[in-house]
Amino acid sequence: MKKFTKNKMAIIALVTMLMLSLLAGCGKNENNNGSAAATDKEVVLAAPRDLAPGEKDAYYVSSILYVWEPLIGLSEDGAPKAELAEKWSNSSDYKEWIFTIKQGVKFHDGVSLNADAVVKNFQRYTNMKTKGSPFYSFNVEKTYPNLEGVEKLSDYEVKLKFSKPISTLIYNMARFGSAMYSPECFDINTGDFTKVVQGTGPFKIVDRKKDQYVTLERNENYYGSKSKIKSVKIKAIPDAQTRYTALKSEEIMGVMDLGAITPDLAKELLKDNNFEISTSKSTITHFISVNGTKEPFNNPKIKEALSLIIDRQTIINEFFGGHGTPTMNILNQASPFAKEIKPIYNAAEAKNIIKKELNGQATKLDFIIPSYGVDRYPYKAVAEYIQSVLNEAGLNCNITVLDGAAFKEAQKNGNYHMSIHTQGLPNAEPFSIFEGYMKSTGSSNKAYSLGYKNEKADKLINKLTTTIDLNERKKIYDELQDISAECPSSIALFEDVNLIAYNKKITGYKSTLYGTTLFNMEWSK
Amino acid sequence: MKTSFKYLIKRILMTIPVLVGITLFAFLLGVIAPGDPAVEYLSMDGVSTPSQEEVQNARQTLGLNDSLAVQYIKWVKKAVKGDLGVSYIKKTPITGEILRRLPITLSVSLMAMFFVILLSIPISLVMALKKDSFIDKIGIFFSLILTSIPGFWLAIILLTIFCEKLKWLPTSGYGNIKHLIMPGFVLASGTIGTIIRLNRATLLEVLGQNYIITAKSKGLSNKIITLKHGFLNSLMPIVTVLGNYFGAILGGSTVVEVIFGLPGMGSYVIKGIMSRDYPVIQGYVVFTGLVFVVLNFIVDICYLFLNPKMRLGGK
Repeated sequence: MKKFTKNKMAIIALVTMLMLSLLAGCGKNENNNGSAAATDKEVVLAAPRDLAPGEKDAYYVSSILYVWEPLIGLSEDGAPKAELAEKWSNSSDYKEWIFTIKQGVKFHDGVSLNADAVVKNFQRYTNMKTKGSPFYSFNVEKTYPNLEGVEKLSDYEVKLKFSKPISTLIYNMARFGSAMYSPECFDINTGDFTKVVQGTGPFKIVDRKKDQYVTLERNENYYGSKSKIKSVKIKAIPDAQTRYTALKSEEIMGVMDLGAITPDLAKELLKDNNFEISTSKSTITHFISVNGTKEPFNNPKIKEALSLIIDRQTIINEFFGGHGTPTMNILNQASPFAKEIKPIYNAAEAKNIIKKELNGQATKLDFIIPSYGVDRYPYKAVAEYIQSVLNEAGLNCNITVLDGAAFKEAQKNGNYHMSIHTQGLPNAEPFSIFEGYMKSTGSSNKAYSLGYKNEKADKLINKLTTTIDLNERKKIYDELQDISAECPSSIALFEDVNLIAYNKKITGYKSTLYGTTLFNMEWSK
Repeated sequence: MKTSFKYLIKRILMTIPVLVGITLFAFLLGVIAPGDPAVEYLSMDGVSTPSQEEVQNARQTLGLNDSLAVQYIKWVKKAVKGDLGVSYIKKTPITGEILRRLPITLSVSLMAMFFVILLSIPISLVMALKKDSFIDKIGIFFSLILTSIPGFWLAIILLTIFCEKLKWLPTSGYGNIKHLIMPGFVLASGTIGTIIRLNRATLLEVLGQNYIITAKSKGLSNKIITLKHGFLNSLMPIVTVLGNYFGAILGGSTVVEVIFGLPGMGSYVIKGIMSRDYPVIQGYVVFTGLVFVVLNFIVDICYLFLNPKMRLGGK
């Protein structure tokens, strides 16, 4: 017995020693956030993806890191605003646009921003034609349709000439459409970046490990208000639970980007008094798209019933932590042209419609969900809720989660009845949203097998292609929004919010429509 | 020795049809899976929905309108020259991406291997020596637990204990040895359990052999019998399992890489699969195929050293 105990003790000691030896030297995590006293200390944040994909990306780095700036930016209400272009004017036929460039601005590499630099950036656009990016795919034909040439008028003035009128140019150019870089950092022919990107923004990139992190440093020569924090490191942490743990362990001070923190984890985090969340409007709307090319959703009445039977506010409250705004509008409120259209919830009326239209027969539906919606949003729970609601009306859903490519293929081939997905605003010009979803030949209409055909909508969209006057265009946009609410192509559920979380050791870090107030962030005093 | 050499040459030649087979199989699997790489490329921003015309143009540019045979032959022609092509989505050379990610996956795999050897061999030895004792039962329970625990669950538990509560280890990323401890252990856990049970069983079988009884009757100590005659003779199946296991983890472990934010091979291929990025999938398959072939080759060499019968050509 004595021998047995001795051996047992020896084994336990051995295993303990092994474990301790593995952890040797693993003292307190050497994160850089420790004391808040040193204001120059680096702040570490995290995002679900690499925000600086690099040389082959159309922008090298996401706009939310404030490394580069566009000629035309976007204000918090979604309207275009002057950034590197101080002002602009257009000819009466909207075929010529003159942009006056802000003076005294330098790129991070010391090169001046002037007409020559702007012209070279436009040469990059026209030469590369299209370039992919996880942030916003660049397509010169879409942003600058019928562009004939770019010419330098003076040191700080450039003129864009078009073969056809374009009255909404500044809406197209806003943000990703007019990013400016030092001509020294890109290949003018391919559009690829040849070294670390050199923008004009309040931050410059000083270190980067692809797919791991990017370190930013305050641009001391910034022409505007300088960043309050000297150095920020943004780590790529793909898993939501790991980001949450990193926040709790104070390895990171905050999170950013789409899906920065899920609503349920945000709720959990707020139980700890050391953390805070911030929300702002988002350009993302959640939609239910239905296959309008086959039964039962080729019947507009059933589509109407589907919209009526879903209690959008319950979805927001139960699954999105109360963050979101119910809507029936195809156009997100972040657009300067959007109008508020409140949804109607009337389950009893919906059930009556379904009963009448389907003669009380139970119908089986294939409800597909994209895997990104399961990772980033509680789409499975939302789908199960809708499933239970529809079940009461005699519509039995079979829920299937598909990876992104298979999801798109199923939508395109019409191998589904219902799907849930997101739609973001590509830029400040809503034409592509209306054309895509509501035109008979629209890309989303076809790609999602919506089977949508509305003669009035077709006429209005065709009219938009020749309507120059912005007030007139606004009237058409209004009409299209009304049609989309009355007779939807896709059923808008609710508008999302940008949700971020941070440790109270930092301050001034808030969510905005297009990112965060990174430049206002500082250590709490 | 001549027989051994012939045996090794035969194994090397066998790798050629294996590689052709697996790349062809992977190519066909990729193509028949629903989804279009052109659509994925054009809608990678999650905002754009490309028109049919745009999709057709992109398919033309990517060479996806060629017949399957032409696409595969084109790829093979480049691959034999060491060019695994360029990603459809990211537009980056695949060879470069694999080389960039390989050290990360290799480090985690080595760490996992370290855990497997460090924990499973001594524990199984003790269990075999103390057969049916309390220690043996604890060991069996421990190995069962390790084999059964899902990796993602173990990862969350470790993150909570070592990061959130104790703040000893970093949650994610790649940098120093501390970044490898948790991913390595999670990756190793299942195999530790398997090897413990396998090595215990093999060792017990060996210890019951006649030559062990002879050694005992000659008066050799238990320690020498177990370590010199028993343990070494029980290594053959372990080497096979470890070889295959190392090959598997060198191919990357998606779950571990995603949870611990490691940009290794696993996360690369899963993105490739999700976006139907055929060249990435193909490149990965060639890489993992080669890894398995090389590791099997090493295992075979180990056999030659461990088993004299093999050196004599099985005679």
